[in-house]
Amino acid sequence: MKQTVLTVLMFCFFIVGLQAQNTVKGIVVDGDSEKPLKDVSVTVSKNSAYVVKTNQNGVFTIEKLSNGSYILQIKLEGYEVQNFPVELSGNTIDLGTILLYKDFSIDQDLSLITITDDELNDDASAADNIAGLLQATRDIYLRTAAFEFSSSFFRIKGLDSGNGKVLINGIEMNKLYDGRAQWSNWGGLNDVLRNQEFSNGLSPSNYTFGGILGSTNIDTRASEQRAGTRISYSSSNRSYVHRVMATHSTGTLEGGWSMTFSGSRRSGLEGFNEGTTYNAYSLFASIEKKINDNHSLNFTSIFTPNRRGKSSPNTQEVFDLKGIKYNDYWGYLNDRKVNSRIKEVEEPIIMLNHYWDMNDKTSLQTNIAYQFGKIGNSRLDFNGGANPSPTYYQYLPSFFERNDDLEGAYEARERFQNDGQLDWNRIFDANITNRAAGLNNAYVLYEDRNDDKQLTVNSILNSELTENITLNAKLEYRRLRSHSFAEVIDLLGGTGYLDINPFADTMDAMQNNLLDPNRIVGVGDTFRYNYKLNSDVIGAFTQAQFKYNKVDFYGAVNVTRTTHQREGLYQNGRFVNNSLGLSDKIDFTNYGLKAGATYKITGRHLIDANVAYMTQAPTIRNSFSNSRENNTIVEDLQSEKVFSTDLSYIVRSPIITSRLTAYYTNVQDATEISFYFADGVGGDNTAFVQEVLSGIERNHVGLELGIEAQVTSTIKLKGAASIGQFTYGNNPDLYLTSDVADNGGFDSNFRSKNYVALLENYKLASGPQNAYSVGFEYRDPDYWWIGATTNFFTNTYVDVAPLTRSANFYEDADGLPFSDYDPELARELLQQEKFDDYMVVNLIGGKSWKIGDKFVSVFATVNNLFGEEYKSGGFEQGRNANFRQLRDDKALDTPVFGNKYWYGRGTTYFLNVNLRF
Amino acid sequence: MKTNKTIILLLALVASISFTSCVEDGDFTVPQSIGAEENAAVETIEAELADPNSGLTEISIANLAGLVVNGQATEITSNIVVKGYVTSSDETGNFYKEFFIQDKPENPTAAIKVALELVDSYNKFNIGREVYVRLNGLYVGEVRSGDGVATIGGDKNEDGDEVENLSLNQLDTQLFRSSNTETIVPLSVKFSEINDSHIGMFIQVDNAQFPTTLAGKTYVDANDQFDTQRTLQSCDGFGFTTFILETSAFASFKFATLPAGGGSIAGVVSKTFNGSDLVLALNNNADVDMSGSRCTPLDINDFNVIVEEDFDSGVDNSTFNFPGWTNFAEEGSELWTEQVFSGNGYGEFSTFRSGDDVNVGWLISPSIDMDAQTNEFLNFQVAQHHLDSVDNTLEVFVSTDYDGSNVAAATWQPVSANLPVPSDSWYAFKDSGLVDLSTYTGTLYVGFKVRGSGNDTTLDGAYMIDDFKVLAQ
Repeated sequence: MKQTVLTVLMFCFFIVGLQAQNTVKGIVVDGDSEKPLKDVSVTVSKNSAYVVKTNQNGVFTIEKLSNGSYILQIKLEGYEVQNFPVELSGNTIDLGTILLYKDFSIDQDLSLITITDDELNDDASAADNIAGLLQATRDIYLRTAAFEFSSSFFRIKGLDSGNGKVLINGIEMNKLYDGRAQWSNWGGLNDVLRNQEFSNGLSPSNYTFGGILGSTNIDTRASEQRAGTRISYSSSNRSYVHRVMATHSTGTLEGGWSMTFSGSRRSGLEGFNEGTTYNAYSLFASIEKKINDNHSLNFTSIFTPNRRGKSSPNTQEVFDLKGIKYNDYWGYLNDRKVNSRIKEVEEPIIMLNHYWDMNDKTSLQTNIAYQFGKIGNSRLDFNGGANPSPTYYQYLPSFFERNDDLEGAYEARERFQNDGQLDWNRIFDANITNRAAGLNNAYVLYEDRNDDKQLTVNSILNSELTENITLNAKLEYRRLRSHSFAEVIDLLGGTGYLDINPFADTMDAMQNNLLDPNRIVGVGDTFRYNYKLNSDVIGAFTQAQFKYNKVDFYGAVNVTRTTHQREGLYQNGRFVNNSLGLSDKIDFTNYGLKAGATYKITGRHLIDANVAYMTQAPTIRNSFSNSRENNTIVEDLQSEKVFSTDLSYIVRSPIITSRLTAYYTNVQDATEISFYFADGVGGDNTAFVQEVLSGIERNHVGLELGIEAQVTSTIKLKGAASIGQFTYGNNPDLYLTSDVADNGGFDSNFRSKNYVALLENYKLASGPQNAYSVGFEYRDPDYWWIGATTNFFTNTYVDVAPLTRSANFYEDADGLPFSDYDPELARELLQQEKFDDYMVVNLIGGKSWKIGDKFVSVFATVNNLFGEEYKSGGFEQGRNANFRQLRDDKALDTPVFGNKYWYGRGTTYFLNVNLRF
Repeated sequence: MKTNKTIILLLALVASISFTSCVEDGDFTVPQSIGAEENAAVETIEAELADPNSGLTEISIANLAGLVVNGQATEITSNIVVKGYVTSSDETGNFYKEFFIQDKPENPTAAIKVALELVDSYNKFNIGREVYVRLNGLYVGEVRSGDGVATIGGDKNEDGDEVENLSLNQLDTQLFRSSNTETIVPLSVKFSEINDSHIGMFIQVDNAQFPTTLAGKTYVDANDQFDTQRTLQSCDGFGFTTFILETSAFASFKFATLPAGGGSIAGVVSKTFNGSDLVLALNNNADVDMSGSRCTPLDINDFNVIVEEDFDSGVDNSTFNFPGWTNFAEEGSELWTEQVFSGNGYGEFSTFRSGDDVNVGWLISPSIDMDAQTNEFLNFQVAQHHLDSVDNTLEVFVSTDYDGSNVAAATWQPVSANLPVPSDSWYAFKDSGLVDLSTYTGTLYVGFKVRGSGNDTTLDGAYMIDDFKVLAQ
């Protein structure tokens, strides 16, 4: 009450008007049970700071309001929001009994969240997905981006998802390796991860400085979970086929204990793409003990072991022959479809959080988290056998066509169309044949492993200094010890695999580990490469938020110090002197500054502006040019400099809700490392290269629009548009490294000469740069709803290969242009491919019942109703590294090394049955 | 309330099914069906061969190779099958898209190449594997026209002068493995004995080594883009006989150092790219066992010539009548003659236009006293001209009971020497090598016996003998 009085006093101070004794009161009850609802917030629309809550009897009273028209908003989590216009002229208004109805849109949200969780696991860059970050938002544009655009690999503002930070209980979960969150670490636990706080873009979060895409903090506190039991079953043909999930929360028990448990199982022999198995379990427990009014301890453990069969990007030739569901990673083994590339993630998280409410203005949350376990990506190695991939270029018709062997092309086409899958029997046969001959394995199944151990400790202070000023501060230490190696999973009928790289010239150079040469490895043995990466980050963050009647504003500062170091455990035969032992330590001191303000023209019209400048330490991934083999650090490694600003106009009327944002983001000194086999390096040479692109500048500029209109009480129209332009802003530096010295354009340090990649104004491959959505929702009072959206995507570009945009493209070994170089033709060859525009229609619908004291809801979605086939992403293969190679390949009807693509899914469904009690 | 329970039950059922549903994504049990299809195919072949009405007949590798016409691809249109045992391996990359088969695991008599569109074929067609090739519709010929390496291919080129690799589809339908893998016993030969008939066979040469000039060199020269040829030598009398070892620049052992010692080498006989020379190609450098001591040729200074005849005092084109020598026509009337060319005299036996159906002529040396010294060796120079057939033979014999006149009554024991073959250049003398006579005692005679014909033009070549020597220590 004290709070209320204070607030009201402030309210009076700011509002110039007559001090009339206006009172508004009412009782809020549950629409179904008609039980009074406690802690319902009632907000007076002219001043959002003016909030009262209902008492245990559901009663609220607002007094001392000045004359005028207001909108009362009555809100409780899980219920539909009610708005009451009131006209005050010096009398008491009793709104009587107000019925609040359960908001089934929450179920709808859940459904949408569920839809996205299967898409969050792919580690391919094009599958970088933002949906997870945006689950908690209510912003119409962002919701559209998350639920309608995300399956097209759409990226908010064209930015990598690593620019959005994901926190669980204040602990940042983005991986230090590549900056991205590993969603599969908490997949399948949707029920218990619903308490999320999302801060869009630069807007302030109480927990973190955040990235330029914003941040989400997921709260797993047991006392905050909705008490009760929830069981659901889902079926889909997207990634998993079945999902069952059960959750139980006790609410607060006697003695201050609260507990939440959740478990789920997702399984499927095949998703939309052939052979993509899905095999995941999720377990969650959160236990909270409220020690006293000021102290509370919460322990959370999350374990989500999951295994998924991956699917391949393919060239157009392959898609044309086999369709968009085709996946070359699997083959029949013992009459089952067995995928050779399984991604397995088993990274349990344990967390202890201490919540200390020092007083009603100040709280201190101290967190400690430890995550460990493994990520494994399996694949076949074949240093004694032919390439087993059915799409290996020498097996495809285009290869024969290139050699003018039309008969061979026809035969290859027949073979590929009739079979075209991995031949496990041949693989086993080869190993068994070799075993009988006393030879080592031809093939081996192994796993690329990342075994991370990460410890995070932080303290987050939140203090309301005055009614208007809130201070946030955070101190954090993160320590990553990551061990990367390859490990044999299965010998596939053989006796042992020789750990050498057969492409090297001498016996010494063939060794992956000179400390143990010509080693024959078996199941569970480490081979190929073996190293550790150590990373330590210390950070401090402070932020002040000011909230006033007409304007809110904030300012934040972030400082971090990051160190990275590699430790090689193998002495690589190609890099005798710099593969074993510790690398130099690299360290970066980085800072970030941001500020922003919201100006409220009226309560319904707002203007919001933000600006930030920050530097970001390069990720470990971009710090070592060839971390598997040596300690070489990227030359002249720089922190990224990011400048970002945006300006929004926001309308919140009872009928129309809308936001229009213009933004500009500029990134400088970014580094990118890529690996590929190149034909035509330094003239006419071939090599497996690491390409280091540095000093990259990128520009992201565009408009975002979201609009939602409640046309009638049951019909809502929705629209969203993203019009962006994401381009390279300069011509970055480029050099190559390889394991070739003093040959083929590489010097004695395995390094090429310096190139400049002429990338300025090329488009970034960041999904569709323009996307539009229109749709409607019909919500029947009888607890069923349907919705449909139509989504248009344009301006999607292929990821260009930087090396072909450098002098390497036209220079012969002597440094002079090729004698047959034709600039006109070159221009044509280097034109960036723009994918076709496409349109996707999605449907959603559901119904809920209340049976006794239980709720049952069913919903279903159909995505891409008309089965539109579209490319959602793709990249140029680096293989054709120079003019002659590219010219000769592109001159063919079907290029041998054409661009590789990901196609969007065809028509898919998702069905969910949910029981809550 | 009833629906309520039903729903719970249903959910519980679905839940339990889903929880236990098996996703066997990590099960790599060895498939039991491996090889079943192929075995069935081999059984079919064997059954068809056993059934005289099936129409399928087996052809020997020798006969198949005999169908090869130099510089031409020949399509096989009859229903025949050939069987062989794999001798080569591409495990190390020294062979590429090819393997050889020979007719027997041990003491082979013929071999042929199979050209196929398959890399790393060693892990399917391993050394010693018994393979069948259904030949109908396939081609025999050469991969590089005129290289003289008989090959089974899947197609012919546009010019029709070369065969092309069996395609992957043809591998499935034409080429079958039985479950047998035999141990290939290398055919033990000397470098001097290797000839075209050995192409594709797995052979072994003992007492071999690399010349000292190659000390420290690697199998492949870093400057060679495709192949490197290294000379192999083996001590033979007072010098060396040599042979070529050819290694691909794609072989994994290409930069291994050549062994400095002496010993054995085993590999597959093949030909150079253009077919000009016979070469030895290694399956694996582990087949080179040269850790022993190097051989040194006999030093001529340690030897005395106890018998010597250079025939230079002969009369050109006259009947051979050197004193002490026997010139005897066992069949027909043709005798050995004396010939002199550019001042060099030699003995020659030619049946050209002799008028006889069969001529067998003996030239027998004067007697040699084998008790006056030790460690005797026979050496001579030998050449041929117009030799077309291996049936037009020269044989070398020794006898200790010859009485100086009755050739037929004596016991003649054959000795092996380096003798001319039809592919040798005409009139080009080659060294016989040293024929070890040290085991003989008493009085010894050496006989050269030529068989030919005056009426069969494939058997009317001539042999020439010169510089007859017996050395002793």
